[in-house]
Amino acid sequence: MAYLSMSGVHKRFGGVVALNGAHLAAEKGEVHALLGANGSGKSTLSKVLTGVVAPDQGRIEIDGREVRISGPEDARRYRIAAVYQELSLIPQLTGMENILLAYEPTRALGFIDRRTLEQSVLEVAARFEQALGRRIDLHRPVESLSPGDQQLIEAYKAVARKPEILILDEATASLRQAEVEALFQVVRELRDAGVLIIFISHRLHEVFDLCDRATVLRNGQTVGTVNLAEVTERDLVDMMVGRGVVTDVRQEAATPPRDEVVLRVKGLTGPRLHGVSFELRAGEVLGLGGLQGQGQSELLRALFGAEPVTGGEIEVAGRRVTLRRPQDAMRHGLALVPGNRAREGLMLGRPILENLTIASMRRRQTGPGFLSPRREREAAQGAVRSLEIKVGDLSDAASTLSGGNQQKVVVGKWLLNRPRIILMDDPTKGVDVGAKGELYKIIRQLTQEGVSVILNSSENMELLGLSHRVLVMYEGTIVDVLEGEDLNENRLVASAMRVAQPA
Amino acid sequence: MASTGIESAERRFWRALWDRLRVPTWVSYALLAVTVAVNASLQPFFFTLYNIQSNLNTFVPLVAAAVGQTLVILGGGIDLSLGAIITLVDVVVVTLMEGSMERVPMALLAGLAVGGAAGLINGLLVAYVRLQPIVATFATSFVWSGLALWVMPRPGGAVPRAFYRGYRDVFLGVPVAAWIILGIILLWLIIKRHRITRYILAVGGDERAAYASGVPVTKAKVMSYLLGGLFAGLAGLGIVANTASGDPYVGGPITLQSITAVVIGGTRLSGGAGGAGGSIAGAMILSLIGNIVFFANVGSHYQELINGAIVVLALALAGIPALRRRSA
Repeated sequence: MAYLSMSGVHKRFGGVVALNGAHLAAEKGEVHALLGANGSGKSTLSKVLTGVVAPDQGRIEIDGREVRISGPEDARRYRIAAVYQELSLIPQLTGMENILLAYEPTRALGFIDRRTLEQSVLEVAARFEQALGRRIDLHRPVESLSPGDQQLIEAYKAVARKPEILILDEATASLRQAEVEALFQVVRELRDAGVLIIFISHRLHEVFDLCDRATVLRNGQTVGTVNLAEVTERDLVDMMVGRGVVTDVRQEAATPPRDEVVLRVKGLTGPRLHGVSFELRAGEVLGLGGLQGQGQSELLRALFGAEPVTGGEIEVAGRRVTLRRPQDAMRHGLALVPGNRAREGLMLGRPILENLTIASMRRRQTGPGFLSPRREREAAQGAVRSLEIKVGDLSDAASTLSGGNQQKVVVGKWLLNRPRIILMDDPTKGVDVGAKGELYKIIRQLTQEGVSVILNSSENMELLGLSHRVLVMYEGTIVDVLEGEDLNENRLVASAMRVAQPA
Repeated sequence: MASTGIESAERRFWRALWDRLRVPTWVSYALLAVTVAVNASLQPFFFTLYNIQSNLNTFVPLVAAAVGQTLVILGGGIDLSLGAIITLVDVVVVTLMEGSMERVPMALLAGLAVGGAAGLINGLLVAYVRLQPIVATFATSFVWSGLALWVMPRPGGAVPRAFYRGYRDVFLGVPVAAWIILGIILLWLIIKRHRITRYILAVGGDERAAYASGVPVTKAKVMSYLLGGLFAGLAGLGIVANTASGDPYVGGPITLQSITAVVIGGTRLSGGAGGAGGSIAGAMILSLIGNIVFFANVGSHYQELINGAIVVLALALAGIPALRRRSA
């Protein structure tokens, strides 16, 4: 009987099924990896364990007893701690104050015992510092530390709580090699002391370095559990994607792109981009693949002038341009359907009509700064018709629309400005199946008219189905270009995870 | 947690030093020194015992109110009913005293209890009912004011002479009011070391991260308002001692003054950073500005305007550290 057993876990977020009967069995004193492609459910499963997400169904047993985990207090009771990529540190408090936050040793009447606190924190820090070879200043507000150090403090925090189950969810993303090594050393010590560590990562080389066993999830279900000494990276990729299946889901009658190059990017560099170069032709759908957070969103935003750029060149239709603000990008015929629809794509409290017309008002103005209500209304109605947006009344607030229709409004807003290139950052996230299909139709129609699309998608099948080519990104650079028969899921996932291709 | 990410390591270091040295607080102390100097230059006999004492006597209520407001703001909230709580405490205490010294201890305790109860209700409305702090405390300010009018419809009441005299006395060579202010500072230093203050800072700094870390968010919020109310109670006692009467309109301006004092003192209005040390200095600065305007022989028509202008100047000077932070 396993020490930790999660079985039959189901979780649905709105119309999206994240977990569909997943299970996990792990033992004390092991480092157990949780693997899967984007959207496989592994993060959700770990959040169920820490109480951040409440499952629709499922049973969790620790040491043979069934447990209910409905929030951080329960996780605390069962001695479960986690290190997420999204930090839980209080920015203006120091490392010393953050590490044992809510676990401070106290004297009578609740006054903090500073001496014991410092001692305990320094003990934890010492474990890491040995391997790290340096000290992190624990008396500075953590917001003044580098992202890598902040992530380490988050790790100190989890370890200081003396957990019996420790979850590391993409905890190594902002760490440099030496820091990763230090973290792993502490993890190994914990494992030897009997702690169960659940390690979630996309970096397969780290998984093989650190972990004993691995459980693979796919589409919200558990594919299997393996002993890492007995498998190869390829085996894992096959499990994550489907054994050796070459899936080719490109729709028939996808119009090939024209020859004209509308966008040329050379050596684009910024805080999260390191020398991105590619060309985009008219009527082409260029997909951005790779694991989430490897620079895809940043690339799209940089092309829209919404993200700082420190180097490189951008040419639109043969002309060199500098895109410092979205208005510059708009002037050159670019449009961005942003990843955060509610915050950056729509003015939720304003009428649908305004949301549709706002980006193109200058085209329809009747005099300097004057608008004609009739023209505005006609433009909005036109967009509603051509995109088949289901609205009650154009004067209803945009917040009344469903996710899919909201996204159509965002697209419609930009189409009214007649862009040459549309940048789309995960456009079908949180959109129901019906609206998704309609958005795909719209994208295909646009390409037939010669409009180009650069598409970032967290769904592999969607990316493969829509794109003519896919640029696979890793840590801010393009590491692979997939087209033709390379445009399949197996290749995509393997490239994303930097797994060597078979000869 | 949102970190700017694009900052260079060097910039981060200087910013950390700035924050750690608590520059905003030191700026407020410097401003206090400047204000005292200006006041001294304008007012004859500034450094006499009588004058220092009368200044300190008027400081006490605002100092207490500023500390209370600091705690609420540190937790990410705000208390717009602070002045009204002070008013309520004032009239309740005076009514209970009935001019007799034997009743004084009971009346003082009752005043604190009223302050605490009002703070508790504010806290429950914000933390459990989840009303926005500005809305909730704005609403309750009318409740406390209304109650004050009901208790004492017209200014009056009798404060025992011994009590009134005692406040204006000197103990061990130091004015009583100075002891009281020292006591308030001591209280703050003690509260700072308690777990609950760290929780309040955490909640004000990043509520989501605090929750994820296991901080009792609701309790922390309620406590911040409760403590705010207790200090408002203390301020009310100060008003009773200073004015020797009950006045159901006395607390009006104090609310905004307490917030101004907190801002001058360098505490971020968004919560999570700062301390009452600066707020205490801020409270004194505000009181002294009133003196300055008076002694500068500014025509009475312009006094309020000049007073306001100087306050804006003080806010701007105090706000410079924050400007640097934002540009980073």
